[in-house]
Amino acid sequence: MHQKRRLELIIERMALERAGRILEAAGLTGYTVISAMSGYGGGVRWSRGSDISATQDMVVVISIGSTERVDAALTQLHDLLDDHIGVLNVATVDVMRPELF
Amino acid sequence: MDLSLALSTILSPVVLFFVLGLGAALARSEMSIPEAFAKGLAIYLMMSIGLKGGVEMSHSAITSQVAMVFGAGLILSFTLPLLAFAFLRLSSKMDRIDAAAAAAHYGSISVVTFVAATQAVKYSGLESSGYLVAVAAVMETPAIITALLLAQRGGAGTKAPVAGSERGELMREVFLNASVVVLVGSLAIGWITGEAGMTRIAPFFVDPFQGVLCLFLLDMGLSAGRGLRRGWRQLDAGAVSFGIYMPLVSAGLAALFALGIGMPAGDAALLITLAASASYIAVPAAMRLALPKAQPSVYLTLSLGITFPFNLTFGLPIYIYLAELVSR
Repeated sequence: MHQKRRLELIIERMALERAGRILEAAGLTGYTVISAMSGYGGGVRWSRGSDISATQDMVVVISIGSTERVDAALTQLHDLLDDHIGVLNVATVDVMRPELF
Repeated sequence: MDLSLALSTILSPVVLFFVLGLGAALARSEMSIPEAFAKGLAIYLMMSIGLKGGVEMSHSAITSQVAMVFGAGLILSFTLPLLAFAFLRLSSKMDRIDAAAAAAHYGSISVVTFVAATQAVKYSGLESSGYLVAVAAVMETPAIITALLLAQRGGAGTKAPVAGSERGELMREVFLNASVVVLVGSLAIGWITGEAGMTRIAPFFVDPFQGVLCLFLLDMGLSAGRGLRRGWRQLDAGAVSFGIYMPLVSAGLAALFALGIGMPAGDAALLITLAASASYIAVPAAMRLALPKAQPSVYLTLSLGITFPFNLTFGLPIYIYLAELVSR
């Protein structure tokens, strides 16, 4: 097994494209987006599809990459989260096929 | 409009299904309409009303009065946010960015309120023109520009662009959002194909319209109720009262335009409703991109949780009455 960094970003759906551009610009080779069902934060409960504009929907973005590439994305993602609703965490993970990342 | 006519508007199946959804959500019922199905219903309604408007427009020429109504719609959409912003800053504790974002909603329009108004106008025995659908489309976006200018005056828009943002993304959201594309596109298709084209699709787009509207408003009632239940703590008394008096102020201003232009009562009622309605589809999405620091729970609760239910239940009879007054 090979060690890589796993980045997990929970962010409002409206900012997804912005987050995607940051990950792509940092050289991360891929990411997966999962639609979040519901949650609580900032004193407000939210759930998917609760308003027709879908502006309160949240998504989870998961990406795995080298430390250099993840670090390159983190500065920009920090700035993004300065404006948009979301949380971010990074962990070290083991992967089977390092050439993919 | 006498009391029985006002009651018949409030007690129509469309409004009562909305009230059912609202009540169920406030009572914490778990009832829900599948998300994708609700979105499909919204597209169906916009297509249907766009097609009908386009067909009606294909029958009539663009007169100077029609041009003036378009002008009135544009002026209202650009200027109502200025008024809304001033009222919010005076009567609530909202900061500049939240007030600017909320103000944009009150200059833009709610397509669903407009659709319900067309039905209420019909129940009232009045006739309305198809071109008002195009006026609705025109009024969707100018308010967003005014709100951005208001926010920028306070320094909110002068900082560096948001990370990951791209040139033109806001314009895409503003001018190519689903409601503008479907409404304008259907209007054009209705106008091009005319009555002959409509006859072929009437069994799908005309006959089931009322039933689909009932289903959709049941879902909107659920959304409004859940939004209100979750977000009411975000609003102070001044903001809540704004959600009710602002549509009445906007309606009054639109009535003055209708009077000046000499609009027939049915058309005047729709223009007044457009001015009084507040967006909860196109503008919230644009505000998340343009003013991400504004709190969505504040402006969505205000427009969807307070103004929308008010307009649908008490507002529509008032607007029709006002239209009849200024059209005599």
